[in-house]
Amino acid sequence: MLPATRVDQAVGMSLVVFSLLLFTYYSVWVIVLPFVESDHVLHIYFLPREYSVILPGIAAVILLLCIGAFTAVIMWKHRKPKKVD
Amino acid sequence: MTKLLQWLFGVSLLVAGWALVSFDLLDLKLPQPYREVAWPMPLYLLVSFGCYSLATVGYRVATFNDCEEAAKELQEQIKEAREDLRKRGLKM
Repeated sequence: MLPATRVDQAVGMSLVVFSLLLFTYYSVWVIVLPFVESDHVLHIYFLPREYSVILPGIAAVILLLCIGAFTAVIMWKHRKPKKVD
Repeated sequence: MTKLLQWLFGVSLLVAGWALVSFDLLDLKLPQPYREVAWPMPLYLLVSFGCYSLATVGYRVATFNDCEEAAKELQEQIKEAREDLRKRGLKM
């Protein structure tokens, strides 16, 4: 058995890196930032805290829309025309 | 007590603890940073679970070994099955 193909390795590793970055940014945003004074330079890199709730909400809505659109397309392709007597 | 009841009990304890800290139901007057951290906790746990799932999927995709012989064998078996079904009259 050979190791996974180059494309598979690249895709897999990029998924891992992306999720690690997302987790670190979100953790600092939600957990670390409230304990940092408001005039510290770190605050420049982060959006206002309301967005830490709104952005995941929007992402969830987009995900549901994609799933719904995919389901609708599949069901549209598989519709059978009614027989005419 | 069934497993479902145990889970519901545990979950409701956690929800009660979270509501207590976030909305200050007992007037404990905790310091503001702690309340600001506790409030988005359910959403934060959901996001971290999503990140963990994504990382696991990515890691398994990257480390899953390529099985060329098994792939060839599977393709041949698919061909054989198609031929067999065609002989028996199934239209594909």
